[in-house]
Formats: sequence, C-alpha cells, structure tokens
Amino acid sequence: MANTVIGSSIVIDGEITGDEDLVIQGTVKGKIGLKQSLYVEGTGTVEADIQTQNVEIAGQVTGNITATDKVELKANCRMVGDIKAPRILIADGASFKGNVDMD
Amino acid sequence: MADTQTVVGETILVSGNLNGDEDLLVLGKVEGSITLTKTLHVQESGIVKANVQVKNAVISGIVVGNITASDSVEITEQGRMVGDIKAPRIIIVEGASFRGHIDMGDLEAQRPSGPLPPRTETRPLGAPRTSRPAIGAGFARPKAAEPAKDVKAPVVAAAAKTPVPAAKAPVPPPPKVAAKAPAPPPKPAATVVAGGKKKVVVKK
Repeated sequence: MANTVIGSSIVIDGEITGDEDLVIQGTVKGKIGLKQSLYVEGTGTVEADIQTQNVEIAGQVTGNITATDKVELKANCRMVGDIKAPRILIADGASFKGNVDMD
Repeated sequence: MADTQTVVGETILVSGNLNGDEDLLVLGKVEGSITLTKTLHVQESGIVKANVQVKNAVISGIVVGNITASDSVEITEQGRMVGDIKAPRIIIVEGASFRGHIDMGDLEAQRPSGPLPPRTETRPLGAPRTSRPAIGAGFARPKAAEPAKDVKAPVVAAAAKTPVPAAKAPVPPPPKVAAKAPAPPPKPAATVVAGGKKKVVVKK
C-alpha cells in the first residue's frame, strides 16, 4: 500500500522525487529521483532522466539512468540511453542502446 | 489492489502535469496540475498544490488550487482546502476547512441573464444620477425660483438659461455627456419635477 504506483492510464509530465519505491505502469516524462527502487513494468513508458538506487525495467525507458546500486534490464524491455551503475544486468531478450558505465 | 490504482506515496513529490483515466490516491505531494476522468483521493498525509480537473474529488488532506469536477467534490472532516471549486455537487462536512469560491454550475444559466438586467439597471442608475443633479438643482432652487415654473418646456428652460446661468453651471458637470443643449433640458425637467413635487407638498 505504501508503494507508489503510477497506473497504466496515467501520464505524468514533470518530476517525481521521493524516498520510496516507485512502480510505473503508465507514462512518465521528465525526471525521476528516488532513494529506493524504480520498477518500470511491462506497460510502463518512461522518458526521463532517472536517478535512483535500483532500477528494474520491463517496459520502455528513454533517458539516462544513474543508479547507486543496480540496474536490471529484463526480457522484452526496451531501453535507450546511458546507464551508470556499479551493477548492471541485461537479460536475454532485452533491447538496449546506449553506453554502460560500471565504474 | 494497489496494482489497479495509482498511488503517490507519502515521501513522493510529483511536480508537473499528471493526466489519467483512473483513480489517483495521493498520500504524498503533487504540484502542478492533475487531470483525471475518475476520482482523486487526497489522503490525510497528502498535499496537492495544483489545478485539478477530475470527475470526483475526495479531500482529506490539503489542497491548494482550483478544482473543477464533473461530478462531485467532497471535503472531509480532515480536509483543508484553499481555492475555488466548480462542481455540480459539493460536500463540505463539519470540521473541514475551506476558503475559496464555489460554483455549482446549475446557476450558470441564470448568471448570464443576471448580469444583463443589472446592466440595464445601471442605465436607469444614470437616471438617478440625473436625480442627483436634481438635488443639486434643489439647492439651485432658491437661486432660481422661476425656472421651476418651466414645466415640460425645455425651450422655456433654455430661455431660463440666461436668467439662471450660475444655477445651471453646477448642473452640467454631473450629466457627464457632452450634450450641450439636450443635457440641460432634462436636468431642468428633473429639477422642475422635483421642484413641482415639492411645490405640491408646499401647497398641501
């Protein structure tokens, strides 16, 4: 319940910031800054720069991701942009275009 | 259940435009604008600083901004709101805090007709203005007792102009309209009427 969810019919144009997990089933354009995890589900579309601890992507993401812990691209996801994170996982079937930085 | 509903959690800040076709539960903060075809729930911990356009709104938290709802807006006991509400149904329960304008739409049809009559009334108010000058004329009466006799006859009033220039001089300023000759006649007429009435009173 405490989870923040952006439902599939929701479109947010702007900025989302917070200290908790965020689940995106809809569309977010702009910027996302979290101290926890971001989950972009299959129906989710994100056109934003993302700064979080963890990111799990099953939907579409366009933008740059900076994660303090881990970025996971799941099967069937589509990601365009640069990823910077200590741990990056790309599953079989994932589609990705961009730079990876695992410093 | 949470999967079927959009939730903005307590520590979340959404700033920008939020559009959607489903319910939205705000526990955190939303700034900007919210447009939904369903219901917005602002929980006790929720803060919304936005212009809101929804079907229904239930406010238990804080809302600063204007709400336009196609169905209803409810401010609960814990709700606090500053802004204007436009909705056919508006419920504000005891304990709720609200400051702003309320528009329940149905009255709109009457409103347009409302302003029109007042405008016409304002024109009549112009007549009262003439009556005001009449009051001025009343002061002028003592100066020109004779012009009062010029009942119904502007021409006579014109003739009286020469004898009572000082009295007429104060009268013209109030009429505002630049009508030179026409303006004075009505005034004298009004003054005459007033004078006539008063004279009648005197007669009585």
